[in-house]
Amino acid sequence: MPAGFGGLLPALILVTLFFVVPVLALLLRSVTGPEPGFQNYATLLGDGTYARVFFNTFLVASVVTIVTVLVAFPVAWMLAIMPSALASIVFGVIILSMWTNLLTRTYAWMVLLQRTGVINRTLMDIGLISTPLPLINNLTGVTIGMVYIMLPFMILPLVGTLRAIDPMTLRAAALCGASPFDAFCRILLPLSLPGIAAGGLMVFVMSLGYFVTPALLGGTSNMMLAEMIAQMIQSLLNWGLGSAAAFILLVVTMALYALQLRLVGAGRATGGV
Amino acid sequence: MLLDYDRMGWLRVALLGFTVLVAAFLLLPVVFIVLLSFGSSRWLAFPPPGWTLKWYGELFADPAWLEAALTSARIATITAMLAVLIGLLASFALVRGHFRGREILRGLLLTPMVLPVVVFAIAIYAFFLRLGLGGTTIGFVVAHTVLALPFAVIPIATALEGFDKSIEDAAIVCGASPLEAKLRITLPSIRIGIFSAAIFSFLASWDEVVVAIFMASPTLQTLPVKIWGSLRSDLSPVIAAASSLLVVLTLALMAVTALLRRKFRT
Repeated sequence: MPAGFGGLLPALILVTLFFVVPVLALLLRSVTGPEPGFQNYATLLGDGTYARVFFNTFLVASVVTIVTVLVAFPVAWMLAIMPSALASIVFGVIILSMWTNLLTRTYAWMVLLQRTGVINRTLMDIGLISTPLPLINNLTGVTIGMVYIMLPFMILPLVGTLRAIDPMTLRAAALCGASPFDAFCRILLPLSLPGIAAGGLMVFVMSLGYFVTPALLGGTSNMMLAEMIAQMIQSLLNWGLGSAAAFILLVVTMALYALQLRLVGAGRATGGV
Repeated sequence: MLLDYDRMGWLRVALLGFTVLVAAFLLLPVVFIVLLSFGSSRWLAFPPPGWTLKWYGELFADPAWLEAALTSARIATITAMLAVLIGLLASFALVRGHFRGREILRGLLLTPMVLPVVVFAIAIYAFFLRLGLGGTTIGFVVAHTVLALPFAVIPIATALEGFDKSIEDAAIVCGASPLEAKLRITLPSIRIGIFSAAIFSFLASWDEVVVAIFMASPTLQTLPVKIWGSLRSDLSPVIAAASSLLVVLTLALMAVTALLRRKFRT
């Protein structure tokens, strides 16, 4: 046995036996249940109902990613250069939100976004709208809830990227006559692009397979992929179709993860937790 | 001067304003849920017509909530201990070992964190149904340890990479056994990493919903399963009371983390 390998054995046994094997068994089930063949995949890819679920999933994941990047960038920018006393308050808020139980946060949004909820009431009181907006049980609700959950995952790694940029490069640009707008477009943004791409890809991947928030804030007519998989197994007991859908999700996720690894290098792809 | 806080002019005002807004957005649901838990309206009217402790009373009167919390605490504690132990051994191998395929193995150990939980959940659910481990504490612990392992390996491996191995070697030169040097020199030096690993893997299990929904049985359910079930039936303020206690727990964890980090640094 090669030097220093022994320590890996418990972890490898655990992951192989209770992760790799079950996932492979599931894959096998997608081409054997109820009978051998690829009919489950043909059903999933050929049917308009399922196409709609795939479309919803990609749409929500894309919108969530774009909004998260746009909101996270200015915040990360400020956090990177703020006086540390001030920054630590904002970091505290981010950690509190991130560490608070997922269901707690989603429950809060369920109450806030409902027809008679605080947000609709406030908007009506100040006269912006006259009838309540449909903010829940649709893709709007899912998007708001998902952006909320994804923001810390985008802000925290971006702060690192922005801190690594030498302020001198920007000073030099200013000395050479670049306007702040030029300096932003031609220096700050390109230099932070690797961080934005890596973080954005992570948010996109996480959003694709997210279950809890879409299941609670979304509607029955606009299901997302993870929820559909759970329903196929839990309510319909259709293991073949459910496993095939799960395997499609797995392939897409892993392909994007591999892309992300190439962007940032192994070990840092996960945002450093 | 885009990265000079003192010379940004109006841009700083705009960015600071935006940052405050986003911080408020992040804080909103957390504060809201705590206020809601003291509101007297069963229909979650806000601002509430009056204040009450009634929902906390109902929460504690129902033994199912306490039982679910204890189940979660038990499973999360065992999971965290296992994940830290297995993760510690794996980290030493990943950081110090010299063997082919090390990066691939590291990737494999981190995969459970990337793969959508729902895929793992149905896979392990089917597997445990066959093994008869569905709805058992062992089943929960095993599944959660797989999910928590990346959260243990990353901070420990990071801390270990930052530790200068020659200090451990010096202890061995001075007569310590290799094991003794690791236990008395290396482990105390990477304790921040180990501590973070314990917190993160505890939370990974404590907050885990998806595997738990599939794995739970009528006799064994964790706190997230209990909350999930209540959320699906109604939006009772009792959930707000339970949620507020979870917020308090989060704050306590953050305080302990901050204190220990300060203590470790000095």
